[in-house]
Amino acid sequence: MSEAGAALETVGLGKRYGRKWGLRDCSVRLPRGRIAALVGPNGAGKSTLLRMAAGITRPSAGEVRVFGHSPQRQTVDVLREIGYLDQERPLYRAFRVGEMLRFGERLNPNWCEAAARDYLDALEIPTGSKVGNLSIGQQAQVALTMCLAKRPALLLLDEPVAALDPVAREGLMHILLRSVVDNNTTVVISSHAISDLATICDYVIILSASRVHVADDLDYVLASHRLLMASSEETPELPPGVAVVSTTHSERQTNVLVRVEQPLTDPSWQVVEPTLEEIVIAYLREKGPRNLALGQPRGGDSSDDAR
Amino acid sequence: MIWATWRIHRSIFLASIAVAIALAIWLAITGTMEEHAWTIFTSHHCSLNYPGSSEICMSSLSGTGNFSTANAALCGALPALLGLVLGVPLVAGEIQQRTNRLAWTQSITRTRWLLVKIGVGALFTAVIVGALAPLVWWWTDVAQRSHIQPANFDISGFVAVGYALFAFMLGVALGALIRRSGWAFAVGVPIFALVRTGIRQYIRPGLIPPTTVTVSAYTPVGNSYWYLNAGFVPIGRSTPGPGLTWSSNDLVMEKCQAAGYGAQKAAHSATYCEKANHLHYVMQFQPPSHFWALQGAETTIFLVLAGVLLGLTVLAVRRWRT
Repeated sequence: MSEAGAALETVGLGKRYGRKWGLRDCSVRLPRGRIAALVGPNGAGKSTLLRMAAGITRPSAGEVRVFGHSPQRQTVDVLREIGYLDQERPLYRAFRVGEMLRFGERLNPNWCEAAARDYLDALEIPTGSKVGNLSIGQQAQVALTMCLAKRPALLLLDEPVAALDPVAREGLMHILLRSVVDNNTTVVISSHAISDLATICDYVIILSASRVHVADDLDYVLASHRLLMASSEETPELPPGVAVVSTTHSERQTNVLVRVEQPLTDPSWQVVEPTLEEIVIAYLREKGPRNLALGQPRGGDSSDDAR
Repeated sequence: MIWATWRIHRSIFLASIAVAIALAIWLAITGTMEEHAWTIFTSHHCSLNYPGSSEICMSSLSGTGNFSTANAALCGALPALLGLVLGVPLVAGEIQQRTNRLAWTQSITRTRWLLVKIGVGALFTAVIVGALAPLVWWWTDVAQRSHIQPANFDISGFVAVGYALFAFMLGVALGALIRRSGWAFAVGVPIFALVRTGIRQYIRPGLIPPTTVTVSAYTPVGNSYWYLNAGFVPIGRSTPGPGLTWSSNDLVMEKCQAAGYGAQKAAHSATYCEKANHLHYVMQFQPPSHFWALQGAETTIFLVLAGVLLGLTVLAVRRWRT
């Protein structure tokens, strides 16, 4: 693979299921070496996006590129670079764990058998067990091992932590971080809860109601959002140049999460830097047409050059 | 990928081997019984065409007659069923288990994945049906005493391998298009039956130009010939000619022969009437000598059909993205 091009780039990507769009107008440009958190409620289009990136689902509109190449063409060059964990974690249930590894070894030139065995040993999953007899969590670990031992340049993990216990989550996060540091792997992890990923991600993609609301570096996302607080009794005018993401009212206080282009100095509001979790929740809370007025996330190229 | 194919479908491969072995044992037992009965039959100078009244002739073959029909049906259906059972889950099984998403995201192109799977499955199908062929041939020999008759032709020689490979590819293709094993199988059985019966009825008789003989009157054709047609046709022709059927001239002959009565009866013999109406009696059949040529031609047809299905399957799987 050439060094040029983003790890994952989509332009106007969309997928329609019958009359309903599963994902719409998705434009994302994920640079190499990032760990991207793909967050959104269930049914927001996270799996659809990952499946199209893995070349399993055909887009209804737009384009998707992995390291500059279309995964839809299913060439070995692209397939070798993608480690895809499906939401349903399909495995050959009649296989023994060792046979599952052998399957991976036979079909992948970059396969690292030692890494796969170390990983499974650490999790105390015996290679002699039948896959179908393992617990759901163990099956998820085997599926994950298959992705990691393939040693791809881009990991597309659909809800990898869903079936894992807290200790296993820690372990996975550690492995992913090491992989990014050692091999410059790019990772996209989907989850419906940002709390799982907040500690390791440095890129955030927020999906809701089939649309991308945010797709940017974590630092920029944090810097470009502010939480405005004021008394409910006399809510002041909003300062100019802000776009409202979400408004919540309590008996005493009105909280408005806004997107800003420049620093805010408005004495009538109390201005606070929101946490990532607060930002994500604000976007997910507002699924209605109000968000469409926010416009598209910033274009990838210019923002990358700026930083 | 070869190992993976074997491992993924191992249980169905092993079950097929078990079924084949069971059939082989069954054929060996019933075939030996048939052979024994035939020995008794011939040693008492009985004949197939005229069973005769001798009690020993009647009873010698009656005991094995039940097996003959059942075994012929079994040997006829087995290649098709084996092919379908092995072919249907090849793609449909993976789609149903969602393991296609696993296989299609390894470092192997989808086309190669498909071709290796089909190659392994087709080879296995051909080997297992081919291995049974000599035994089925021997059984047909001792039980039916003929190979050219349609029911025997279907199970003799290598044409069964052609059927099995066609059934296998039909199963793979339907599985890839329908994506449900049960439905693919349910649709595959009637399609296979239709194609095979159609070819046997309408195409096989003329695959190799049949032999015709002119005889002065009806003479029975032995079991070793595949009798196709017979009738009165104009002298100089060996077939009824355009627009006519093999029985078109039956009425002319009947009228002519009915015209003779009393003293004239002998004069209006069949020979006389044939001459009077410029007709001769022609029989059309496939002789045993055409057996291998017919087998080769029909096998080729089924292999070509299987090839078309292979192309369809490759297109369907390459294009398919949920």
